Amino acid sequence: MAKKVADAAAAAPAAAIKNGEILRAPAEEIYADELQALLEADKHDKPPGWRMSPRAVHTYICGGKAGKREIAPKYIGHARLVEIAIATLVTDRALLLIGEPGTAKSWLSEHLAAAINGDSTKVVQGTAGTTEEQVRYTWNYAMLIAQGPSQQALVKSPIFRAMESGSLARFEEITRCASEVQDAMISLLSEKRLSVPELATEVAARKGFSVIATANTRDRGVNDMSAALKRRFNIVVLPSPRTLELEVDIVRKRVTELAASLSLRAKLPAAEAIEKVVTIFRELRQGQTLDGKNKLKTPSGVLSTAEAISVLANSMALAGSFGSGEVTAEDLAAGLQGSVVKDEDKDRTCWQEYLTNVLKKRGAEWRSLFKACSEQNE
Amino acid sequence: MSWQIHVLGVRHLSPMGAWQLREFLDRTRPDLVLIEGLDDAGEVLPDVTRSETEPPVAILAYTDALPVRTLVYPFARYSPEYQALVWAHEHGVPAEFCDLPSDVFLGLQEAEIEWLERTRREASEAPPSGDEPPIRVGVPEPRPSLYQRIAEQAGERDYDTYWERHFEHNAAPGSYRGATVELGRALRELEEDAPRWRAENLVREAYMRRRIEQAIGAGYQPDKIAAVVGAFHAPVLTGEFPTMSDAELALLPRRTSKLTLMPYSYFRLSSQSGYGAGNVAPAYFELLWEALNERGIGDLSRRYLSLVARHLREAGTHRSTAEVIDSVRLAETLAALKGGLAPALADLHDAAVTLLGQGELSAVKESLARVDVGTAIGRLPRGVSQTSIQADFDRELARLKLEKYRGAVQQELDLDLRENRRVKSAETAFLDLNRSSFFHRLRVLGVSFAKPGATRQESATWAEKWFLQWTPESEIELVESVLLGETIELATAYKFKSQLDACTSIADAAALVHDACRCDLMHSMELARRRLQELAAVSSEFAALAAAARQLGLVVRYGDVRRFDAEPLVPLLEELFVQAAMSLFASAGCDDEAVPAMLEGIDALNKVGLEFHDRVAEPLWIEQLQKLADSDDRSPPLSGYACAILLERGLIENEALAREVSRRISPGVPADLGAGWFEGLAQRNRYALLARQPLWEQLAGYIASLDDDEFKRALVFLRRAFGPFSAREKRQISENLAECWGLNADAASELIEQPLTEAEEESLKGLNEFDFDL
Repeated sequence: MAKKVADAAAAAPAAAIKNGEILRAPAEEIYADELQALLEADKHDKPPGWRMSPRAVHTYICGGKAGKREIAPKYIGHARLVEIAIATLVTDRALLLIGEPGTAKSWLSEHLAAAINGDSTKVVQGTAGTTEEQVRYTWNYAMLIAQGPSQQALVKSPIFRAMESGSLARFEEITRCASEVQDAMISLLSEKRLSVPELATEVAARKGFSVIATANTRDRGVNDMSAALKRRFNIVVLPSPRTLELEVDIVRKRVTELAASLSLRAKLPAAEAIEKVVTIFRELRQGQTLDGKNKLKTPSGVLSTAEAISVLANSMALAGSFGSGEVTAEDLAAGLQGSVVKDEDKDRTCWQEYLTNVLKKRGAEWRSLFKACSEQNE
Repeated sequence: MSWQIHVLGVRHLSPMGAWQLREFLDRTRPDLVLIEGLDDAGEVLPDVTRSETEPPVAILAYTDALPVRTLVYPFARYSPEYQALVWAHEHGVPAEFCDLPSDVFLGLQEAEIEWLERTRREASEAPPSGDEPPIRVGVPEPRPSLYQRIAEQAGERDYDTYWERHFEHNAAPGSYRGATVELGRALRELEEDAPRWRAENLVREAYMRRRIEQAIGAGYQPDKIAAVVGAFHAPVLTGEFPTMSDAELALLPRRTSKLTLMPYSYFRLSSQSGYGAGNVAPAYFELLWEALNERGIGDLSRRYLSLVARHLREAGTHRSTAEVIDSVRLAETLAALKGGLAPALADLHDAAVTLLGQGELSAVKESLARVDVGTAIGRLPRGVSQTSIQADFDRELARLKLEKYRGAVQQELDLDLRENRRVKSAETAFLDLNRSSFFHRLRVLGVSFAKPGATRQESATWAEKWFLQWTPESEIELVESVLLGETIELATAYKFKSQLDACTSIADAAALVHDACRCDLMHSMELARRRLQELAAVSSEFAALAAAARQLGLVVRYGDVRRFDAEPLVPLLEELFVQAAMSLFASAGCDDEAVPAMLEGIDALNKVGLEFHDRVAEPLWIEQLQKLADSDDRSPPLSGYACAILLERGLIENEALAREVSRRISPGVPADLGAGWFEGLAQRNRYALLARQPLWEQLAGYIASLDDDEFKRALVFLRRAFGPFSAREKRQISENLAECWGLNADAASELIEQPLTEAEEESLKGLNEFDFDL
């Protein structure tokens, strides 16, 4: 699943978006009419700097009605967590979304920003190479050398711009950054001011400024967050979907959307196929069968909901490009193989054990998938 | 008759209800306060409002004959009923309960249980369980689904949050009364409840109206009467509805009952379900009550979250005041999103998890539970409405210096039963012993105040560990025991007698002897001894006899520590020993399934033999063991085990053992017999076996002599025999065997540590196909 929104997308010509040439448009573009409907129907108070009231934001994300228009849910399941997230932003505290990979952290953060500001593109994409300048500001060096420090030579970070305009900035994968870089956020969040000593000035954040950060709990190579920084965030932990039905729902919805936006030339997988893939993912993720009777080995990879979605999209692409246009067991097996068995031998044994001990015994409905997977795994 | 009185509908355990009630009474100034509660509880009401009484307390009603049915009616400080009593007491106004009396409630409860059991029997033929948890009087609660639907419509996740948001936070005068009347009406209109439940309510309401008319008849003006009842009943307490006639009252089922007050605990309040609101977090609601009476409802979230942070700090997790401030802000914003006046408990929880727990529920879970539930227990003035057995319990606690253990938090007490020689009086010297007897009596009675813990030294007869915790349950259990006897000692003796009458197995009788000794009940022990003798005389079941002998042996050995004369028991011990020894050989002809029990029995009896070698017929035991060891037609593992005991006692020479081993496991003897014997032999004194090289030579020779199928069969037994050996012992065995085969120890370990070759794995897999049952 395409997960990150490139800064470039915001700068791309609007024509490209309209023509559908953009791989993935930001949420506020895709759901522009829903947002418009909500704005029109919104009768509650708006916090300073917000485009709409907290209740309308909640409706936008969890689904509901705006006047007569049906609003599709963007985040399914834990509506209360969304409430807490919104309430956090109302209180001017920064929000930190934590969770296993693929629990829709960035998704939620993007939609929150889209609903609250109509702009989800002020993003710092954290990496191990992110520097403090990218969090605060940097310079147009040619101008800096020619004229010395000046407002024109200042290159503002997304967070800088958010402070100036009193809107939300997003900080993706904050724990991937080195701790020095993370630390740059500490005084920024507590004082809500950013000083620019070179110009002997400072920028005070306008009302409405806040930061939504996301962080991963599972991936390796992630830096710890300091306690000082943690204290400046309200932390919301996003769980994996609670039930099979919920997860199947989420997967079906996203696969349908993806199929449309990527114009995959294949039919949507059958409901049973989605349920089978989600069942396999849930069982391997939890290390036991759904009925709780068998214990299983868990593979090293992260078997998130997002990955289940990509397995299905992948198999649709296979079916569309090389097959009959209908997703077969072989197409699914290829995707499953790739996501369950990463580069380790251990995963291969895990997967084989699961196939023979669990899938094989599930009877005729699962037979074709079992056979296809076993062939793939040889 | 047409009349209209002042009625306030409440929910039990509702702080705002209590607060609004006081305001309501101040305004209406009644001459009589009627409260929904057991009509016959009038005698204990004055004790409820005494200044020494500290809520939570409960009125307990119980039947005075078997089967015991009980009924609990708890009050917290913020119960509207309690505040009504307090208000009446302060203003010198009479307050009376006006619901059905306890004997009718218990009668109805009995009928209900009978009906439930009958339907259950008819439904599934399943055995009915006699122990129903105490059913309480209180606001009738319709099916939860209805409540859930109300909550969902209001956009709340559960009914408690809905109730709190809509009823507990609005301090505007009269708002509560108006809202509960509407709620009561709405609930009454929903005709979806069980008909029995509805019928009981109609009966109760007719009775309440009867009581109101009686009060009017006694000269009170209707507008000078105020009634405090559940919201559900509030709409129907007017003269327009029929009252209960004398004839109708006489028709209701009754069980004669007694009433008492008992201290209660917040923990128990919180663990009850189906009883109105506010009980999930009793301490939180007390905070709400305090906030209402001091600085107003807005103060609650600050207090609550500060307390949580305080608990976290005490537990070693530092949380700053700034975080508390931010969590209060988050909670208030969450409440505002729902249009609430103040944060409800659910908002406070979420704010605490997000800020103080940094997103993790587990980090704050314990602190939340502490602040929600609290450890408060109620207190009653000494001597207030107690049953004789409660009084006896208090006396014993004082005598045994145990009063400080009467708390809601579990405490541990180690007892040393030996005489304390450093003190003067006999009472203090044997304090721990007396305590132990007391605890054991409670244990026999099934009063959960004292629970035995495992001691470190299993064999020490003088050390005991107990976990003491006072709970309302234990108080109820105590009250129920009054049916068995007036004091704890009498009740325990009675319980023993009924247990003995019901006892049919030797093991049970022996356990009762042991118990009677631990309870320091000499008379009961004599009865138990007689019962045991009767049962033992006609039995020839080795395992049971051996177990009984062992139990009795323990009692006799206890004798010294427990300060009683065990001499009368010794003849019975001798008798049991002989009987057990004589039954050994016959019982040893058993199948494999009975072997573990037999092994245990042999071990037990052997211990008795060693401990009381001067009193019991040990030579007879040895003789029987010898006979078993030599026989070829008894269960082979038992023969082997007998051999092992003799070996341990030094009664078999090396040479004789070698001969026996070679005889037992020689070629031609079926593998299960030979290896089974070895399994029995290897159960004991492994070191002695390991040190005997000839034995291993014979074993090696034996295995070499087996053909393929025999070998596979023998594998099962050998594997079982060596299974319990430690890795080191196994290593030693393999070294022993290596020596037989001319290898040295190093070479042997090298061989073992090599990974399995493919050929070896193949042959192991081949064993899976082999049918061992043949």
